[in-house]
Amino acid sequence: MSQAAVKLAHPEPAKVLTVAVAGNPNSGKSTLINGLAGTRLQVGNWPGVTVEKKEATLEFQGRRVRLVDLPGTYSLSPYSEEEVIARDYLVEARPDVILNVVDATNLERNLYLTVQMLELGLPVVMALNIYDEARNKGWEINPALIEETLGIKVIPTVATKKEGLTALMEAVLEVGDNPEAHAPRPLNYGQDLEAAVVEVDKEIRLHSPALVERYPARWLALKLLESDPRIVEETGLGTGSFISRAAKHLKEAHGDDIESLLGDARYAQASGLTREVLKKKTTTKRELTEKIDRIVLHRFLGIPIFLAAMWVMFKLTFDVSNPYADWMNGLVTGPLKRWAEALLGLVAAPDWTVSLATEGVLAGVGFVIVFIPVIFAMMFFITFLEGSGYMARAAFVMDRAMHSMGLHGKSFIPLLLGFGCNVPAVYATRTLENPRDKILTALLIPLMSCGARLPVYVLFAGAFFPGRAGTAIWSLYVMGIVMAVLVGILFKKTLFKGENPLFIMELPPYRMPTLKSLMIHTWEKGKHFLIKAGTYILAVSVLVWFLLNLPWGVEQKKDSYLGQAGTVIAPVFKPLGFGNWEAASSLVTGVIAKEIVVGTMGEIYLPKEKKAEDEKPPTFLEDLQEIGVSFLSATKQAGENVISSFGVAKLSAEEKEETKPLKKVIQGAFTPLSAYAFMAFVLLYMPCMIVAVAFRDEFGTWKWFGVAFAYQMVLAWGVALVIYQGGRLLGLGG
Amino acid sequence: MSWYDLFWAGAIIVGAIYLLYRSIWKKRGFCPGCDAHTCGSRQQKTDKGEKSW
Repeated sequence: MSQAAVKLAHPEPAKVLTVAVAGNPNSGKSTLINGLAGTRLQVGNWPGVTVEKKEATLEFQGRRVRLVDLPGTYSLSPYSEEEVIARDYLVEARPDVILNVVDATNLERNLYLTVQMLELGLPVVMALNIYDEARNKGWEINPALIEETLGIKVIPTVATKKEGLTALMEAVLEVGDNPEAHAPRPLNYGQDLEAAVVEVDKEIRLHSPALVERYPARWLALKLLESDPRIVEETGLGTGSFISRAAKHLKEAHGDDIESLLGDARYAQASGLTREVLKKKTTTKRELTEKIDRIVLHRFLGIPIFLAAMWVMFKLTFDVSNPYADWMNGLVTGPLKRWAEALLGLVAAPDWTVSLATEGVLAGVGFVIVFIPVIFAMMFFITFLEGSGYMARAAFVMDRAMHSMGLHGKSFIPLLLGFGCNVPAVYATRTLENPRDKILTALLIPLMSCGARLPVYVLFAGAFFPGRAGTAIWSLYVMGIVMAVLVGILFKKTLFKGENPLFIMELPPYRMPTLKSLMIHTWEKGKHFLIKAGTYILAVSVLVWFLLNLPWGVEQKKDSYLGQAGTVIAPVFKPLGFGNWEAASSLVTGVIAKEIVVGTMGEIYLPKEKKAEDEKPPTFLEDLQEIGVSFLSATKQAGENVISSFGVAKLSAEEKEETKPLKKVIQGAFTPLSAYAFMAFVLLYMPCMIVAVAFRDEFGTWKWFGVAFAYQMVLAWGVALVIYQGGRLLGLGG
Repeated sequence: MSWYDLFWAGAIIVGAIYLLYRSIWKKRGFCPGCDAHTCGSRQQKTDKGEKSW
């Protein structure tokens, strides 16, 4: 669809046509809206990306259209939060049109939801999406026959390529402007059920006519017949009336409960229609997705493959991004520092402000920004795994492992989100039906190593494990998962006893994500780290500088307020191998955000540089030239790292040749063993403040954050102790 | 340190504390979900108003 035809606009309620976009999870609803309105809703090749309903407004052929993206559901029953959100919106808001997005490669299952939508009696337009994949499989779908059978408009679309979107919007406008002419054809669920519906409908109109205004009549009758708990509660029409009479009659006639009867009737409609409209080529060839899944989801190979995939991801992340991180480091400690000093010198700023800018802001924020390439590389690979469909397999594989140990499988989806950032992961727990599972999952999320911890790992792993940095980082991520499983089992057996509900996970087909989509979503995931650097990391860096320089004129950093506080806390960490005030202070400031651990170390460890009298600083143009040349050199290095056998040996050689100042200082303050214990502590100790606020928002109390804080501090201390003292006993150094 | 320096140091500290308060407490941090609209924190706060992007 051309940008000229569709543009973003502010809604004007009087003219707006409201369109609810509904469909199965992973049918491409968000992609379709993004294609129509040019928005950037998060998409992923795995179910459950959209948790809440979202809105976008666009203008098409002079009409304003408000698109409401509902969470993906398989049915309109009231058993999960997504279903309740979608159903409540359709029933209560009564949109002008329901835009039903149907995955053409999963027609029968998608039509089951369509059948339920038709019960609402609202005008429906069907986007027969992912049509290209169905065609590529050699399937022939007859959209005209679906139109004729259901009495709705059906438009084949390929949302990722924006194919069919103009025709789709035209159909939406046509149906929205003439709803009576496009009312869906009522489906027939069989003589007995239809008779019961008529009887119940008649009684409702007689006894509670107001309800017919509030709910679609046929839908209300069906819901009352199947004793939908929410509708029974909302209407006050229980089972002791005319409804129970009709239900009893049906049960006697068919020997089954009404819910099962209705479910069968809906499946029969979906299945029968699919048989009529879909012609599959008979083939004995196993499809590619199934072939891959036979290996990837193998009972014994599944978890090793998942761990191997993670290892490759960290290896590539480190190899690709490290040359750029070094380039950023050179930029921050060289030209940026010189320019800041020169600018402040021009305005004759006092010495302390120059120190604040260079040793506070640049050392604090700068050393976090240095790791931005690493974070973006990591987000790129996570986005790739999500988009390709592998992340859903990872959840499936881990689900089996977790479920066998008594954990709820669906919990693994928010846990996986936690690898990017723990904050949206905590909010994603609302997709879980059981409140106990929500809380338990939220308590485990901080054990998933988020991107903010990556700068700490990259700094320490690069300094102490050259050549094996990728493996060291990978081991920390695996440690987080293992700890989550163990703590989960412990909690499930103590604080959160109960049955595990069945978890059905849809496995989408493998797809190659487009480069554009990868770039957009990598940027969306990574940019908040830049925003963090400009907001609270900046603020903390300034405060840390003052704490390091107060009382005013303090000579030794150890005698500063921060140094004194660190000295008081440090003994707690002595058995863990990092009982110095510098590490203790960094861990304290790191509770705001974990990247700040590195920023604070930058401020504490880097000594004041003494300039040689005869040293002539490079000119501005020389600096620019050097930045350009070193960037090209970093790009070349990154390319070589990837090409030459993943670049392990090469990278380690580079590290040895040119050790960066901060790495050099921490090499003197830690040993490899205490450095690993420190990284494990950073992984496991209390969640950051933003996660604390998310806990408070989601559960309405600080209590569960308190629980997370307490158990994580104990766990982090215990694990770091075992690593350090255990390592010493094994003779791995002190 | 002169009174002038003290004033500016105080202003910078207050500004940093305010920035911290604003970004963590008032804005509820900033996570990838905010932009992708998959994070509920802002949704809850803007439920009453019309929202489009």
